[in-house]
Amino acid sequence: MRLSRRRLAVYCVAFLFAIVMNFAVPRMMPGSPVDSMIAQLGPRATPAAIEAIKARFGAIEQPIWQQFVDYVVGLAHFDLGVSVKYYPQTVVEVLGRSAGWTAFLVFTAIVFSLCVGVLLGAVAAWRRGGRFDSFVSPFSVVLIAVPPVIIALATLFTFGVTLRLLPVGYAYDPSLDPGLDFTFFGSVFLHAIMPVLTLSPYLIGEFQTTMRSSMISVLGEDYVTMGRAKGLSETAVMFGYAARNAMLPVLTNLALMLGAVFGGSIVTEIVFNYPGLGLTLYTASVARDYPVIQGQLLLMTIATLGANLLVDIIYGVVDPRIREGRA
Amino acid sequence: MMVAAAEARAESVLTMHIEEQTSWVQNFNPFDLGGRRQSTMDFVYEPLVIFNDYDGGKPVWRLATAYKFADDLKSITYTLRDGVKWSDGQPLTSADMKFTLEMMLKNPAVDTVGVGETVASVETPSPTEVKINLKDVDTHFPESLADFPVVPEHIWKDVKDPLAFKNETPVGSGPMTEIRRFTPQVYEQCRNPNYWDAASLKVDCLKLPQISGNDQMLALLPEGSIDWFGSFLPQIDKTYVGLDAEHNGYWQPPAETVSFQMNLKSSNAGNAEAFNDMTFRRAFSLAMDRTSMVDIAGFGYPVVNTHASGLPPRFDSWRNKAAEGAQDEWMAYNIDKANKLLDDAGYKKDGDGFRTTPSGKPIAFPIIVPNGWTDWIDAVQIAAEGLRKIGVNASVATPEYEQWQKQILDGTFEAVMNSRADGPTPFRGYFQSLSTAFAGRITSAPSRYSNPELDKVFDDYRRATTDEERKTLFDQVQVIVADNLPVVPVFNGPTWYQFSTKRFTGWVTKDEPVMNPEDHDNNRMRLVHLLRLKPVQ
Repeated sequence: MRLSRRRLAVYCVAFLFAIVMNFAVPRMMPGSPVDSMIAQLGPRATPAAIEAIKARFGAIEQPIWQQFVDYVVGLAHFDLGVSVKYYPQTVVEVLGRSAGWTAFLVFTAIVFSLCVGVLLGAVAAWRRGGRFDSFVSPFSVVLIAVPPVIIALATLFTFGVTLRLLPVGYAYDPSLDPGLDFTFFGSVFLHAIMPVLTLSPYLIGEFQTTMRSSMISVLGEDYVTMGRAKGLSETAVMFGYAARNAMLPVLTNLALMLGAVFGGSIVTEIVFNYPGLGLTLYTASVARDYPVIQGQLLLMTIATLGANLLVDIIYGVVDPRIREGRA
Repeated sequence: MMVAAAEARAESVLTMHIEEQTSWVQNFNPFDLGGRRQSTMDFVYEPLVIFNDYDGGKPVWRLATAYKFADDLKSITYTLRDGVKWSDGQPLTSADMKFTLEMMLKNPAVDTVGVGETVASVETPSPTEVKINLKDVDTHFPESLADFPVVPEHIWKDVKDPLAFKNETPVGSGPMTEIRRFTPQVYEQCRNPNYWDAASLKVDCLKLPQISGNDQMLALLPEGSIDWFGSFLPQIDKTYVGLDAEHNGYWQPPAETVSFQMNLKSSNAGNAEAFNDMTFRRAFSLAMDRTSMVDIAGFGYPVVNTHASGLPPRFDSWRNKAAEGAQDEWMAYNIDKANKLLDDAGYKKDGDGFRTTPSGKPIAFPIIVPNGWTDWIDAVQIAAEGLRKIGVNASVATPEYEQWQKQILDGTFEAVMNSRADGPTPFRGYFQSLSTAFAGRITSAPSRYSNPELDKVFDDYRRATTDEERKTLFDQVQVIVADNLPVVPVFNGPTWYQFSTKRFTGWVTKDEPVMNPEDHDNNRMRLVHLLRLKPVQ
């Protein structure tokens, strides 16, 4: 459970760096929220209205250090400012609406892919060079390489538009009200199938590949030989002895992959009109809604850092060498 | 008995798609142009009067039943319909309209129609009369109030910041004021229990599912769940009509004129010299391959505009044949003629094959078009190719929409392809894009054109009191514009309108082109269109 102080320091520095970048990058971009506010008025904006908006949002040109102090103070209060596109909603409201859906998608996809990928990887390693291995393992490499947008469009057209088996958009049937009943949960499940299937191939491929290679190195260990010598069944040795320890690199890899998964979720959500962070980020980018983009980047940074931290902690729990402080 | 019969009738719900959003936000504040749901105007807040541009700009009286200018034209008095109630049962009176106007005067940020420039003061001689004193004579004033929402004083007088107010459960005067259900994915706007024109209203609720873009729309179409929408659908006969030929229909008549506009006040000396030379603008026009723009860039949906006056087809009844004909020769695609024109005018080519101005300054300009507007970008690409063929160094630049708008307003661009917001008569489009008063102040007027002769005709038009006078003056406008070619018209974009007769009938079609059929927020007639619809029995 003990994290070394050095690891913690690394996390703190990374977090501070993220905060500073988050403040600096939008301010280095061309354009300003005031311009996009005015742009929303479209061709019907009267000169007087434009002046009034400028006076209201643009006149507060404070020195940069003052802006930074305000920004940090705001962060401490979980105040990320006000959205431009969804004015007068706050960024926290906008992100709060969608963060849950993305977390649900990503989490479901990861759990599903872990089960499938680890199993495929373990079996491929156990019978390496066999017929199963020589088909599945190269196929995993293909899965990793296919861009999510291709998979998304292919699933959408096959199951959604052509066969009309699955709904083509939304997180649940719009005619339902969210509630704790089977109809609602069923609808959420049905609407999540295609997005999850889109996110999964890349994950499955990665998990399979990592699992296979780490399993092969574990299979040469003495304790596996001992397990076999004890006369345990194939499956017991495979899962009880080898797979358990081979899982560790898979977990590390998962933390590293999180960024890519978020990237994939953006495309997936846009294609399936799924009301998560990806769709929100896309809209915010198009609308130059800097406060929302900023809040979103911060959220993703925290999620990635948090996942890494979590993996570090889990490692401490499951790896006996770390647990006994002999790392 | 009557009540029971009404209850026995199944509720009729009309599914519409008006705006592309990734998530609905409950905001029915009519003054928040960017944030309001686009079903706020017309459906929650009834207009005073709608001028039907498909009917020569004739008035359709709604909240108002008449208006009358004083003899000196310095004031106008509106008569409000008697007995109109707000959706909460309170009477709608002249006090509400006065309150709304004064709120706009006090607070320019909510002045969505520009009354700050035209209105001096407001009086209420009686509960149904509103007298508006004008700063200047402006007989065009009623048209400028086209998008004016009257809001209830008893609700809004307590609102501290009328722009930030989200007005989640609006009290309105229109047919659909009750927000029955509101989720990020769908909302329903239902019948106003106190609607004054309830007898005409056969639709009980509007249902607006959240749809984020055209791709999502295409995926949803096979479900056949949408009754009224206006999307860009490639190959519409196949992608929409083909799905259900019996019910699915569309009509996409030509809308505003899209023109190339040059910044006549450009800070680049060479460009400014060329842009302000009519010969150069005519050569520019001759280099425009309008047919390709329509067929290749626009999927064949727009219609080429080959009139030097740029008058949109929808205003054919205003067309002055004398203004055209003579000048329309500049509106063809003719590279040789354009080259000859420039050669004769002394635009010599230098070493790199591009022309310089007669005084020897280089000409080079990007044409800006908003990023993501793919059909427009393709059209600008075609224009730039044509210009390069006549030795003019033109290129394409695609800033983000906000930047594009900013460059137009700041005057830091060289050339742009742009449409202009037309009113119910052709006057507003011309006045706001070519008068000195508006030059460079709104996005519809990028070219910063200034012509005293034209300004005078505009002024006279705003003092005109009869239709004959207006027609005569507008004939002159067309002549001046065609003779001077201040902007280069290329095509008229389509009106976006698709419908399904599966659940409702009464749709406006090309066989009965009585009004602009669009359901978008730029078309006030959509209210009258809604009142035509009847559920299929």
